[in-house]
Amino acid sequence: MITGFLAHFGRYLLMLKQMFRRPESSKVYWKELFHQCNEIGIGSLWIVIIISLFLGAVTTVQTAYQLVSPLVGVELIATIIRDSTFLELSPTVTCIVLAGVVGSKIASELGNMRVSEQIDALEIMGINTHTFLILPKILASIFVIPCLIVLSMFLSILGGYMAGTMSGILNPAQFEMGLLIEFVPFNLFFGLIKAFVFAFLITSVSAYFGYYVKGGALQIGRSSTKAVVVSCVLILLADYALAALLL
Amino acid sequence: MYKSQMNLIIGTSGSGKSVFMKCMIGLIKPEKGQILYEGKDILEMDKDEKKELRKNIGMLFQGSALFDSMSVENNIRFPLDMFTDYSLKEKRKIVNDVLARVNIEDANKKFPAEISGGMQKRVALARAIVLKPKFLFVDEPNSGLDPKTSLVIDKLIMDLTQEYEITTIVNTHDMNTVLESGDHILYLDQGRRGWEGTNKEIIFSDNQRLNDFIFASDFLRDAKEKRMSELQSSEIQ
Repeated sequence: MITGFLAHFGRYLLMLKQMFRRPESSKVYWKELFHQCNEIGIGSLWIVIIISLFLGAVTTVQTAYQLVSPLVGVELIATIIRDSTFLELSPTVTCIVLAGVVGSKIASELGNMRVSEQIDALEIMGINTHTFLILPKILASIFVIPCLIVLSMFLSILGGYMAGTMSGILNPAQFEMGLLIEFVPFNLFFGLIKAFVFAFLITSVSAYFGYYVKGGALQIGRSSTKAVVVSCVLILLADYALAALLL
Repeated sequence: MYKSQMNLIIGTSGSGKSVFMKCMIGLIKPEKGQILYEGKDILEMDKDEKKELRKNIGMLFQGSALFDSMSVENNIRFPLDMFTDYSLKEKRKIVNDVLARVNIEDANKKFPAEISGGMQKRVALARAIVLKPKFLFVDEPNSGLDPKTSLVIDKLIMDLTQEYEITTIVNTHDMNTVLESGDHILYLDQGRRGWEGTNKEIIFSDNQRLNDFIFASDFLRDAKEKRMSELQSSEIQ
């Protein structure tokens, strides 16, 4: 098991190393980068919007349920939503969902390309497939996923505001006051650091499993599942590591 | 392999044809031996030399290997985008000329999933020759095609070989291809050279394993006898 893990890890590092070569045509690579930004960013927009709104709304309602002491002002609900969203809910939960959406898409796309010899066709043309197929995906995700996380943070707070005010838990002025209490800018920065790290993990791990698949449709499905599971586990490990190191 | 000729590699399943072809194009590293391209061993080339060589190699895969996310036009234009500085207008003209050469019309905007197997093969062939390579490798061009379409593909490959003066190497199981278009045939037997010759010499070969492979059916054996007597009588005349 350990040798298997080390073999995978070594091959993963070699894959990353082989990505950094001069592209054959900058114009084609730029086009591919923007195409991936569209696929990863715009393709995941709706799921991020829906998840974020409901995350904020549910957290507001459940926090209000737990906040029973009359000594604690209701405006603290907004403070809790804000900090939970910035520190954990938006970056981690959203990225775990994106690991399923984006990660499985990348793994199955590359797996299908491998099985149908499209990657071999690119290699025979003299194209570095690591640089052409994998690097644009990783760069696109590093650029686009933090943008999605920022959007998620905004929508999560908005969802909490709507749920809190419409259900009478707190009024708008109380919610706005709570948002401003003891605001620590570093929390927002920390959430973005997580977003960058998780974005890299999601795409690089999924690309690894898809690129090196062997077999047919069954193996493509398995590699896609493995990509999502491994990405999620690594996200959670990185989540803990970053929290321990930076907070 | 012989320049501007159809070089065929034949053999039973598992004889090593695909592995042999992958070694020739550098996808697999052989355990020993040399693979010489115009006198230079591909195994001793550095990355840049290999890259330059690969620009002169075109390949038609068994499953066509067209890029699913690109249209027919973009599939064929892809090597031009990667390796040339032509303007968009020039590239479109080259693509249209190559599509006309492989007898495809009005399919530029279609995607690979929207065209038939025969058309996919022709698009893949167009992509393989768009940069006018010196070497064309073809892996089982007739697999999955009906006999009539197979003949069309075979003729197209033969015509392009002569027109573009390409060295074409074909892996095939198709006996029509072997007997009709094999300028130079290599029979692999359990990974080794079993027989080598032309499509005319193959009829007169006394290699038992080769004969059992090529003329497996009674029909083909009878056809062989008939052909042998025709050729012998035409030689006498």
